[in-house]
Amino acid sequence: MKLTEQNITLWGDDIPWLAGLREKGLRAFAASGLPTAKTEAWKYSFGAVGNTENLRIDTTPHECNGHCHQQEEKPVSAYCIDFCNGKLHGEHFDLPRGVSVKPLVETIYDGDIKPYLNKSFAMEKFPFAALNTAYLEQGIMLVVERDIALDKPIVIRYHQHNSQNLFCNIRNVIVLEAKAKAEIIEYVDIDEDTCLHNVVNEIFLAADSTLKHYKLQKEGKARCVSLNSVQQRSNSNYKCFVKHNECALARHESYINMLQEGAYAEVNGVYQLVNNGVSDITTNILHLAPHTTSNQLVKGVIDGKAKGVFQGQIHIAPDAQQTEGHQLHRALLLSDEGEVDCKPELEIFADDVKCSHGATCGDLDKEQLFYMQSRGICLENARRILIEAYLQEVLNKIDNSEVAGWLADNMKNF
Amino acid sequence: MVKPILEIKNLSAKVADKEIIKNMNLTINAGEVHALMGPNGAGKSTLSYVLTGKPGYEITGGEILFNGLDLLKMKPEERACAGIFLSMQYPVAIPGVATNNFLKHAVNAKRKYDGLPELDAAEFLKLLRTVAKDLDIGAEMLKREINVGFSGGEKKRMEILQMSLLQPKLAILDEADSGLDIDALKIVADGVNKWHNNDNALLIITHHQDLLSRIQPDVVHIYADGHIIKSGDKNLAVELEKSGYKTFVDAKE
Ligand SMILES: Nc1ncnc2c1ncn2[C@@H]1O[C@H](COP(=O)(O)OP(=O)(O)OP(=O)(O)O)[C@@H](O)[C@H]1O
Ligand SMILES: [Mg+2]
Repeated sequence: MKLTEQNITLWGDDIPWLAGLREKGLRAFAASGLPTAKTEAWKYSFGAVGNTENLRIDTTPHECNGHCHQQEEKPVSAYCIDFCNGKLHGEHFDLPRGVSVKPLVETIYDGDIKPYLNKSFAMEKFPFAALNTAYLEQGIMLVVERDIALDKPIVIRYHQHNSQNLFCNIRNVIVLEAKAKAEIIEYVDIDEDTCLHNVVNEIFLAADSTLKHYKLQKEGKARCVSLNSVQQRSNSNYKCFVKHNECALARHESYINMLQEGAYAEVNGVYQLVNNGVSDITTNILHLAPHTTSNQLVKGVIDGKAKGVFQGQIHIAPDAQQTEGHQLHRALLLSDEGEVDCKPELEIFADDVKCSHGATCGDLDKEQLFYMQSRGICLENARRILIEAYLQEVLNKIDNSEVAGWLADNMKNF
Repeated sequence: MVKPILEIKNLSAKVADKEIIKNMNLTINAGEVHALMGPNGAGKSTLSYVLTGKPGYEITGGEILFNGLDLLKMKPEERACAGIFLSMQYPVAIPGVATNNFLKHAVNAKRKYDGLPELDAAEFLKLLRTVAKDLDIGAEMLKREINVGFSGGEKKRMEILQMSLLQPKLAILDEADSGLDIDALKIVADGVNKWHNNDNALLIITHHQDLLSRIQPDVVHIYADGHIIKSGDKNLAVELEKSGYKTFVDAKE
């Protein structure tokens, strides 16, 4: 079955504006098609998308009676939202005052979603986000009201079990009102190689709000793509940390629009792939107003036949004076068959700016390895210690120590 | 009874296709202190790396026995655990690795090799504190990344700290005295003397008399062009200080 010919009925097909939007999504995807070597934003990782011939969208209701993720304990003390096989699990979340989470369909019917849905990106540029729009149904709308600071992180977990050829499209709309503060952890725990997991997060940060967004891709055989489209108002803070472990394809794409003065964005990431698979961290940060700042630090370790991709675009608009955009990607390439691709792109149209970018790719330092061995530390441990130290610099950017500890525990042993 | 710890027999070695060590012989017995002196570029550090198994050095002839073991067959970490320690001329900085953590890994690697239980954090810290105190190394420095931004003298004291922790059977000090101020030299010498006993041995590579006046060598070797050209007692070092290498190297040719 082709991706565009699923022949399904979704909730809300009877709502004209939504049906129209889905139709637009389908058309946008039909126009662009799946990414190819010629798709600039996908030129290093299009191949890892793999076979999509047999993918199907499952429209049956989610009925698991809670069995689908019972084995999972919470990674950190947090409020949990679960998706199983692409379906929102449960509808009631024990959240504190001033915070609401609703199933996407509900907000479609009551119209709450309308001011936000598909408002943060243009589908033409993002083929999978276009598909995600075409099949819009699953997802949540999360709102943190003005002045509310969440006491614990919200964890959004994606599980999958006994699912073949499943094509999951999830749309989360996250709204932080003025001065709100929240931490969101996305935890992708999917191990089905026949499935494709496609998440679009639309994030709206009002003035003076702060969102810390963590994402952990657990080790597995999955193909997971995501677009994280962020709109930032004045003095808002967006701090993102991505951790990719080995899987067939893990793509985390950030598309950050800093619309007003004083906005601050940070994207940090770590990837560790030992044998196979592709990690793709792609960012596009648009400084559209003066006094905006962005920082990116991504470090990776590639071994075996794995591939690590970092594409970092910084765009500084003509009137975005006194802005800063910094970017650094560093990778350890430990094998001959592995591959690391780095593509920094700076488009600077203002003159009073500070920008930097850098990229390195190398092996472990032989002098350091020998120094450790000469103290009795075996080569294997010496390598592990050096890799941990190498990645620690990025982990140090996480200021929630519980989250940092959890992510550190999920480091791969080399 | 004389018990050899290190026996170097007809050793030749190349680095980057250049023969640096040429048919060298040296035996060091338990309890002895040997000094190795020689002009810059003679191959002293090369010898120390060949002994510790640094990759990139090709052995073209001869053998090395360490406590009877065929050293050249052992991995660097095995040699270290078996009791060879090198205080490096240029200790290596490792950004991101805290000194105390690094030291704990080293100590526990050796304990594991010796069949002893690993030390936990508290036990290790206790051991580290006593040893560090003797060498006048403060807690602050132990928290820093190993050798990162350390001064020349601090690096050398850190090497001796590692020696004290690991209690080797053979310590090779490659210019352990360079960069040390007068007080630090005394501290380092005291540290080495405290460790040295009749069961272990010491090879001091140095250009100066100062350290040798504090750690009395039993034998002084003049090393030039890849092997030992003359050996004598401690007075040879004093003589060298006055006359330089030239007379000895010329006499040989
Ligand atoms: N990796 C290498 N590639 C090329 N030449 C090397 C390499 N390592 C050492 N050498 C050369 O081998 C010779 C011996 O060097 P070594 O460091 O052992 O001398 P040394 O006796 O320790 O000198 P110093 O007293 O200055 O420390 C030098 O000429 C040096 O340039
Ligand atoms: Mg030297």
